[in-house]
Amino acid sequence: MARNEKLFGAIIAGKKDAAVEAVSEAVGAKQDLEALLEESMIPAMKEIGDRFSRNEAFVPEMLVAARAMQAGLALIEPELAARGHKPLGKVCIGTVKGDLHDIGKNLVAIMLKGAGYEVMDLGVDCDAESYHKAVKEGAQAVLLSSLLTTTMTYMKTVMERLAEFPNVKVIIGGAPVTKEYADSIGAHGYAADAGGAVGAVSACLGRA
Amino acid sequence: MHTALKLAKAISFSKGLRVGTLDGFERLIAGIYGRPDRVPVILQPYIYAMSLHGLSPQRFFREPAPFVHASYNTARYFGADSWTPVFDFYDIEAEALGQEFNWDVQMEPGVNKHNFLIKDRRDLLRLKPPVPGESGRMPYVLESYRLYKQIMNLAPMCYACAPFTLAVLVRGLQEFLVDMMEDPAFAHDLLEFLSMEVIVPWIRAMIRATGCAMVVMSDAQASPPIASPSMLREFCLPYVAKINRATSTPQCTVCDTGTWGEGMVNDLREVLDIKMAMMRGGNTMHSTRPYYLLVWQEDYDKVGIPAVRAYAEEQGVCLMLNTSPLLVGSGPAGAIADKVRALIREGAGKGRFALLINMVPPGTPVEHVHTAVAAARQFGRYPLARDIERMKFEMPAVEPFEQWVKKNGLPV
Repeated sequence: MARNEKLFGAIIAGKKDAAVEAVSEAVGAKQDLEALLEESMIPAMKEIGDRFSRNEAFVPEMLVAARAMQAGLALIEPELAARGHKPLGKVCIGTVKGDLHDIGKNLVAIMLKGAGYEVMDLGVDCDAESYHKAVKEGAQAVLLSSLLTTTMTYMKTVMERLAEFPNVKVIIGGAPVTKEYADSIGAHGYAADAGGAVGAVSACLGRA
Repeated sequence: MHTALKLAKAISFSKGLRVGTLDGFERLIAGIYGRPDRVPVILQPYIYAMSLHGLSPQRFFREPAPFVHASYNTARYFGADSWTPVFDFYDIEAEALGQEFNWDVQMEPGVNKHNFLIKDRRDLLRLKPPVPGESGRMPYVLESYRLYKQIMNLAPMCYACAPFTLAVLVRGLQEFLVDMMEDPAFAHDLLEFLSMEVIVPWIRAMIRATGCAMVVMSDAQASPPIASPSMLREFCLPYVAKINRATSTPQCTVCDTGTWGEGMVNDLREVLDIKMAMMRGGNTMHSTRPYYLLVWQEDYDKVGIPAVRAYAEEQGVCLMLNTSPLLVGSGPAGAIADKVRALIREGAGKGRFALLINMVPPGTPVEHVHTAVAAARQFGRYPLARDIERMKFEMPAVEPFEQWVKKNGLPV
């Protein structure tokens, strides 16, 4: 199935109504919904993420694109679930303890959902136990976010708490976080921005 | 000495008329306008002061005396040239408007993100402006400034929250960003209300109460990639200019700063131009104003110090760079000294440069902060040494903090 240009363009432009209309038309025309998701909707989110990584798009544009994506997805999700469509993987994400910043975390969650992952959003100010619980509930990857130098050190505490799960991948990011810091605490992945987080998760889970 | 005389002395010194020696304040002023005797060091005591004194956020951010005294002790102990009492300056106007904050925290209070004040247009229409100086923690701020003035015999630099960031605090970041895209008229109405009904009266009240020479609005949210440069031109700059026009006087400069994001755009100059417009917009008498270009470590690490140095020189303003809070927190001391040396070598040039030590993480060994200050003193002496790379860093002896406070500090 060829890419649905109307839907693809509507998501990138953040036009929620146009995205819903395009999805409705596709449903009405009995198009393959899995193909619609995988060839038009997920690529649209990937494109906006790539533009973000290239400094060609900014957070508001990503937000409205995600809203358009989610509005369109809401129309087809029940049908996809009924057909046994499975997400790429299950991940959890949260801002670490002591840190109340959530925009970066929210953006990454949006991008991961847009890329086809099931995302457990743990919120902000998350202690190590909340990540541990999410892994017990099936998260294959754990994403830790921090915007403060004063809170990023808690990532090491989370790493230690998750040590009993050798197959679970931990990916970290946030303004003060660096690749060097990720390596120093033994994180499996590092993302410099929201667009890069999807690639980091996919690489860690072998979905790249 | 009267502030005006100190200013005159410092500016004369910076231009080569070197009479006497400079104190910390004079060094900073000389560094803003030209070349002082050495690179000025500004320290933000903030939550590091809170932790050094074992204060709770509830006391530090609500009680003027322990807050100012702890900040004073910290700044003086480390020998900073300049400091101001830095509280959670983003929150004051929002709290005065009635925005809920979480105080059940270990560090600074934070907005309750489950209950933003402005959920829709009706909330904006219902909103009453604060009583300047009386609502929320505004009395705490004014009393803290009064104490600072009494202790330092110097008017403080005052802080306000800039309209863009204040809009984010009372509306929610995602909501406000979507407003800009989908309901720009609402976003403009909110910014207009916050600018003219909240921020302008508050800045006027601070100027009246303190006689300050500078009010700095802070605007961390008005930064790429949170907003694009074109959004900043539409939703940030016009309101900053309006506020500056309404409050700035020949004796008091009002400006907007604290933004970041040079490393998040492809056109560096576009963002630097916006930064300077945040400083200059709405002000007059530009040549006399203490403008500066503040670039944060995350950004200068990406774009390089020479690029921002060249821009600051072209604009005729002081370049201000911060030390990496992460590096200061983690050390080791040798790496801190080397970093300060590099910042000075690349940024300090012939003057018009200041070093900012900010957001020192609680728990940081005092030796790390002493190292940063001592390195700035040693490497930052003008004219900069030609062999600055080969100079051996010498760490002075450090007195334990508690011992110093006992002998020289103010009671907390």
